[in-house]
Amino acid sequence: MSKESQMRAAINQKLIEMGERERLKELLRAKLVECGWKDQLKAHCKDVIREKGLEHVTVEDLVTEVTPKGRALVPDSVKKELLQRIRAFLAQHATL
Amino acid sequence: NHGARWAGIVKLEWSVSRLTRERKLTNRESGSAANVKGKGNCQNSKENRDFSQIQILPAGCSHVNGYKVDNWKQNLRVIYQCFVWSGTAETRRRKAKSCICHTCGAHLNRLHSCLYCVFFGCFTKKHIHEHAKNKRHNLAIDLLYGGIYCFVCQDYIYDKDMEQIAKEEQRKSWKLQGTAFCFLSENLMPFQKCLFTAVTFVYFVPPGIGEKYTTWEPTKRELELLRHNPKRRKITTNCTIGLRGLINLGNTCFMNCIVQALTHTPLLRDFFLSDRHKCEMQSNSCLVCEMSQLFQEFYSGHRSPHIPFRLLHLVWTHARHLAGYEQQDAHEFLIAALDVLHRHYDNGKKANNPNHCNCIIDQIFTGGLQSDVTCQVCHGVSTTIDPFWDISLDLPGSSTPFWPLSPGGDGSTVNGESHLSGSTTLTDCLRRFTRPEHLGSSAKIKCGGCHSYQESTKQLTMKKLPIVACFHLKRFEHSAKLRRKITTYVSFPLELDMTPFMASSKESRMNGQYQQTVDVLNNDNKYSLFAVVNHQGTLESGHYTSFIRQHKDQWFKCDDAIITKASIKDVLDSEGYLLFYHKQFLEYE
Repeated sequence: MSKESQMRAAINQKLIEMGERERLKELLRAKLVECGWKDQLKAHCKDVIREKGLEHVTVEDLVTEVTPKGRALVPDSVKKELLQRIRAFLAQHATL
Repeated sequence: NHGARWAGIVKLEWSVSRLTRERKLTNRESGSAANVKGKGNCQNSKENRDFSQIQILPAGCSHVNGYKVDNWKQNLRVIYQCFVWSGTAETRRRKAKSCICHTCGAHLNRLHSCLYCVFFGCFTKKHIHEHAKNKRHNLAIDLLYGGIYCFVCQDYIYDKDMEQIAKEEQRKSWKLQGTAFCFLSENLMPFQKCLFTAVTFVYFVPPGIGEKYTTWEPTKRELELLRHNPKRRKITTNCTIGLRGLINLGNTCFMNCIVQALTHTPLLRDFFLSDRHKCEMQSNSCLVCEMSQLFQEFYSGHRSPHIPFRLLHLVWTHARHLAGYEQQDAHEFLIAALDVLHRHYDNGKKANNPNHCNCIIDQIFTGGLQSDVTCQVCHGVSTTIDPFWDISLDLPGSSTPFWPLSPGGDGSTVNGESHLSGSTTLTDCLRRFTRPEHLGSSAKIKCGGCHSYQESTKQLTMKKLPIVACFHLKRFEHSAKLRRKITTYVSFPLELDMTPFMASSKESRMNGQYQQTVDVLNNDNKYSLFAVVNHQGTLESGHYTSFIRQHKDQWFKCDDAIITKASIKDVLDSEGYLLFYHKQFLEYE
């Protein structure tokens, strides 16, 4: 494993262990609802389903289809806030 | 052999029953192999479509039936508990360590776990698909969101029983860690969504104890209320909502200062503003209802001082020793108020189980104090644990000697306090509180070990920490010789770590681990200051005021009807009579 992926794994472990990952997930969920991201993406999903027909779409298809757009639509402010939160968490638990 | 490798991690029973299931399945599989090959669900869904006019409910995936044998429910629950929702510190530690793809070692890539055996694999790189194909284990569970995927249907499935189990386990896990989220969302985001109306208001808060944060959907009645009360108020960082002065009704500052502290206790506020109190008292003399009303008054946005005459009358009725217009002790009032609230909470129903009360007061304020009495002859220890609502601390300058300290009290810095100019800190007081105390020859106790009356030592430690810790600095001395107020300055921190005073810390010291491992990662016992009650004056007459925290880090001084902004320095430099701290992180059952 490369040094970077080791680091990622260690950080991920710490986030799970302290329950921080769940908290971040909840925070992100709330932020995305707040900024309208969820509604936008929901509308997009509906379009995709309508276009392909309900019978021919699986969750997997939907994921592949909407992921690029979903990523692009996340506001920078939300990304920044999450990043800051993770930074603060790591600074607090600097013994990693 | 992953089965063997992980067997020690999960509950033994789980592994065993999973393995036996696996064996049974391989026996059975030869018959149903055709079903696994090709797209079994095409056939299925066609069948369903033919009956679509008759069947209103869509039939789910039929492949789950193979899974629903033996005690599958219990197995599924264990997976949710340990690897998906992970509500306790232990399960999280386990999840952090073990949740990696068994094929490539990655922890990302949408990790799924096989439902038939102990195998984790990533979804993105199709390692879980490979496993499913090779072993013909057609169901897997998403370890991040808990969805269940069927490899035959090639889609996530929605099985009623499984969904039910997932939901129940999620609720349980949120119950275990739920409240942590109200404190941690320090930006008070949900508060900004508060909807206030002129008469009644609907308050949108993360529910207090034990429920998952869900989006609020107004009921029919609430919609009607909102329509009839079109005024909305938004919470911003510099708005004054939640701040309200209290008129002094004649030496009632002892009550006002406590009311200010209680109305700014985060969990109590969340409880009352989310309308959780269901009154069961017949008469309208319920103190909990009055508190509920008081919270409405405080957070209504009115700026004129509130007149707490109803509250005072109820206190006089239910705590007769506080009746009349004389000056009273704020600490005594606090304890009396908590006691009456606790008694009124469910109208005496708790009598069925006096040892374990679940009322909001006990959930927030009750801790457990461990008392170890050690016989000096046989060194036998007898331990008792008593509940407490507050901790009364002796101060230097009282007639009982404050020091000598217990061994180990070498003045090391705990809680970031240094002994500047020899002043006493809250930590000093707590260290004294938890030091072994020689009971002396005049207080011999019959030892359960050697069955004789012997001298002994007694030591108090914290067995269970309360969510809100109230420290009472014993500034009023009523000894046989003198009655006076002790004005010694005691410094207290904004953040307090209670770890050194825990029974568990003492045990690890006893076991020879002398270096106290200061675990910076351990946040379980950390507290934040949120209210301070002060007394000015003498033992005979004086005045109470309080400092309360609002919006995470703004402080206000409440002097009866007058509320002024205060700095953190004002708070920390004040004398301090009652100190209120709340836990920063919550994890409890």
